[in-house]
Amino acid sequence: MDTSNPAVFVNGGLLRMYVGRRVRTVIQVLQSERGAVFGKSTDNLELVVKGSPSSIPLSTFVEVIGIADSEKSIRADIWTNFGDTFDTNSYNQLCQLASGEFKHLFV
Amino acid sequence: MYGGEFDGAAAFSGGGFMPSQATQAPDSSFSTSKNREGRPLLSVTVKQIQGGIDESNLFIDGVEVNNVTLVGMVCKKDDKVSEYTFLVDDGTGRIECSRWVQESIDTEEMEGVSVGMYVRVHGHLRSLQGKRFINAFSIRPIADFNEITGHFIECMYVHLYNTKIRGSVTQPQLANSRMSTPMKGYQAVAPNQFSTSYGIGSLDSLSQSVLNLLKHPTYLAREEGVHRLMIAEQLNTPMEKVMEALEHLQDNGCVYSTIDNDHYKSSVNG
Repeated sequence: MDTSNPAVFVNGGLLRMYVGRRVRTVIQVLQSERGAVFGKSTDNLELVVKGSPSSIPLSTFVEVIGIADSEKSIRADIWTNFGDTFDTNSYNQLCQLASGEFKHLFV
Repeated sequence: MYGGEFDGAAAFSGGGFMPSQATQAPDSSFSTSKNREGRPLLSVTVKQIQGGIDESNLFIDGVEVNNVTLVGMVCKKDDKVSEYTFLVDDGTGRIECSRWVQESIDTEEMEGVSVGMYVRVHGHLRSLQGKRFINAFSIRPIADFNEITGHFIECMYVHLYNTKIRGSVTQPQLANSRMSTPMKGYQAVAPNQFSTSYGIGSLDSLSQSVLNLLKHPTYLAREEGVHRLMIAEQLNTPMEKVMEALEHLQDNGCVYSTIDNDHYKSSVNG
């Protein structure tokens, strides 16, 4: 068992709190280029995800796990297609709670 | 591991639900025995598992933990002859899960799981030489990714329930509410409790009479049940009232129509 390297649930707004740390988030893919994917976070902010997706093509919603590069970008090493329908509202609230009142259950 | 060596002092220091006017001997206090019978299933994060205290018994939020369910990504998989081991990462940490396989159906289930997949694990939390792992009963790929969100929200709910709500209810209700709510359908309910609580409290007297009639052994034995005309006749009640009652009972799952919309049968045995 190892809890030394958690990936925190974040949305676009929370990303700034975790720069340099491991995070996970779900984005809605807007545009995909070589080496970077532009997407919309669950709180409607624009994010850049660097790295190469392991599965191509990407679905509408993609989960990325990686290091928070800056307030608006993530260097991802794990990409998971979450399909074309996803409840972003619930996910966004989960992010808020997981960084707030219930943080101790996560990190 | 949940036997008589149960460490009461450590267990109850946080929970504060030890009955002060205990009528039972300390070694058969309800928490130990209930948990052994009830085997509650808790939704947890790996981080919570790590927070447990002593070696043989694991407590999360003051509740002894046996069976757990978690959702995470498989990051390592090893297969041996009769056992598969997985390292599951739920984002809060990683834990080893082992799944023993005996039948070919088990092997097929495990072959369907690969590295990088999100899975839901149900299993028994074990501890060996200070190392925690899960003896999994099932490891199934997640098809709807909202289940990930749902799982973590449930973890928060269970935590909140066990830390706040449970602490505020009085002792006698505690045993029931604690045992029933967080585990939902996983909790075995005594059959007679089931039928009494089964909608009957909310039934009006006519519905109750209709139900009683349908529960009569003669009618229960008939495959087609009872014609609604017969019910109206037997109870000496206008048809429209009988239909209202039947609809109400049907909505509550107490009765169902059989060969056509005129014949009804009780879904509850006498």
